[in-house]
Amino acid sequence: MRPPIAPLAPRVSQYGIDPAYVGTRVSELPGMTSVPLTELFPDLPPVVFPGGEGVAVIRRATEAALAKVDMNMIKPEHSVNILASHHGFTLLGGEPYAEMLKTIKDVLETRTGCTKIRLRAGVGLRFRETEEYIKRYGLDEHFGDKAAGVAPVDQGIPIETEIGTLYGIKKVYDADWIVHAHNSDVREVHFHRQVDRAVKPFGMSYARIETRSTYHQNLGPRAANFTARAIFDSAFVQDKFAFASFLTVAPNGIIGVDADNDLYALNGRVTLTGCRYYGKMMTLFGEIDECIAALDFPCPVVYVFAAGVIYANFAGANTDLYDLDLPLPAYTWYTEAFYGVKGRPLLDDIPPLNPAIRMCVHNYAWVGYPSTFFSEHIPTVVVGREQADLFNRDPQNLTYMKHAVVAESTAAAMDFAYKVTGTAKVLVFDGAMGGINVSEPLAELLLRKAPAVNQRVEEVLLPKWLRQRGISR
Amino acid sequence: MKVVNLLAVVDAAKCRGCKTCERVCPVLAVRVENKKAQIDEARCRGCNNCEQRCPESAVAMVRREEPLVVRVDWDEADYAEIVALCRRARLNPEQLVCYCTATRAEEVAAAVLQGARSPEEISLRTGARTGCKVECIQPLLRLLEAAGIQPEPPEGGWQWYGRTVTAWEIPEDIKKKYAGFYFDEDIKLLDRVVNAPLQGRRDS
Repeated sequence: MRPPIAPLAPRVSQYGIDPAYVGTRVSELPGMTSVPLTELFPDLPPVVFPGGEGVAVIRRATEAALAKVDMNMIKPEHSVNILASHHGFTLLGGEPYAEMLKTIKDVLETRTGCTKIRLRAGVGLRFRETEEYIKRYGLDEHFGDKAAGVAPVDQGIPIETEIGTLYGIKKVYDADWIVHAHNSDVREVHFHRQVDRAVKPFGMSYARIETRSTYHQNLGPRAANFTARAIFDSAFVQDKFAFASFLTVAPNGIIGVDADNDLYALNGRVTLTGCRYYGKMMTLFGEIDECIAALDFPCPVVYVFAAGVIYANFAGANTDLYDLDLPLPAYTWYTEAFYGVKGRPLLDDIPPLNPAIRMCVHNYAWVGYPSTFFSEHIPTVVVGREQADLFNRDPQNLTYMKHAVVAESTAAAMDFAYKVTGTAKVLVFDGAMGGINVSEPLAELLLRKAPAVNQRVEEVLLPKWLRQRGISR
Repeated sequence: MKVVNLLAVVDAAKCRGCKTCERVCPVLAVRVENKKAQIDEARCRGCNNCEQRCPESAVAMVRREEPLVVRVDWDEADYAEIVALCRRARLNPEQLVCYCTATRAEEVAAAVLQGARSPEEISLRTGARTGCKVECIQPLLRLLEAAGIQPEPPEGGWQWYGRTVTAWEIPEDIKKKYAGFYFDEDIKLLDRVVNAPLQGRRDS
């Protein structure tokens, strides 16, 4: 068995505990090992990052991708907003995404002569998160102080769409042109279901609360994905849209950079890689019969990830998140909303949270996303009083700790979990690059199951998923 | 229901009176007077919006010495009216409308029936929309509209701008044009939820 992969170090952030309190990482404990993702799925694509060249390869890939993009519409006297989102900064340490953003600005300046280029970085529910990243990655310096975080409660602007008025963030659109700088990591498959993934930020991180609430409350779990398309297709946005540049990602790392003036063409390519590579990993995780899930990454509870799969998706891995015939995954906000006062689903056919998760050891994860649903329905041990106190101060998680217990240390939490659950299988969500950190029994199970999963996805599931999305291979 | 354990406190030396805090407060607890932000401690629901958006970082959240318990008491209310209002808004009464505070449609409906006339008043009475402040504006507006109330956004504020489309209002031509979005299938699902039996004691 291989040694564990060193996880990303804890980060200083107002949304997490002081890294000094993160004494032990779960992967450091006895019995832990790692599995390279290419051993599970040998047909995963080659990656450019991580690699020996560092982020220089990202700059070259961005320049090459942008070379085929038409920028003639942008004149020297125009203004351009490069639109970014928080999630890119959580991928493989964040430097690749930051480097793509810097390169887009440099190429834009060189090719168009335009100097009024700003960075507008949207967020999820942690309104200062991208402000932190802008400083951490030197984007404020690179953009000459024209870099700003924007939040969904900031001043809005109405956008007339085919389904009526929706609302964007005014600062996102206060330029002659916009450049959509994103990534293809699937992340919230439980929400977007790999439908218009490349378009989603127009209904989310670039959008006001009215629009985001439309997505999560008004339209239903699948129809919700029309929200972003309605905004992107509006005359208002189409008049400003110049091109998109995406960091393309697979579970094992950064594949490259893809750029296009046609967002839907790019979306088609993203859909294929998302379904194929992440679909295999999620299907494999669905084969896990029992385990302890260990959260150990600088992100909110739902977003910590292992092999590119976030905890929120593992919580629904007992269902096929890519199958659009399934209306409600085990976890989405619609699903959560549809649990009644007795803590049971209002409809009998709503699937339960993944019963394979026997216990969650919350070693290190942030606040800033409503996560009580998880501690309510999955036995949860939080490591350290400091982390418990942080959750008790977060307006989005005031009752998270009502359903969780506190352990003094990582080792004590894991010992408790092993004894109570009786399982020796551990899946660590620590963002390990290129592989996953797991306990030895789980490594054996995953390696044994992967070949059959690979075949089933390629021959049965992927054709169905692509057919449902109108995508040809 | 929400237990409010935080309170916004302004550092007057840092405050430049830009009014961002006033514009984003979901319960209208902030007023800028003489170019300084003032917090109404009794109204503050500890949501962090002002602290998170102040460009001068002049607001801090401190722990309240005595937490406020915010809830609507509807024990004496006619629950049939609450159910009827929720269903007119196409919500199941037990459906969560605010994920952060676990506020259900029934409590918001009770607040409306007891006199709340705006999202701000609903938030003040129930605590809803004082967690993430993002995801729950639409069901609040739908419940107000179902009660025949057409609230106006706070003047000059950014708290909210308007109700948006629901699944039932998507035009037929759009549904046909974009069949891959499962509009009708999701309407069926939502209708089943709206009409699902209740689990609470009032259903028996």
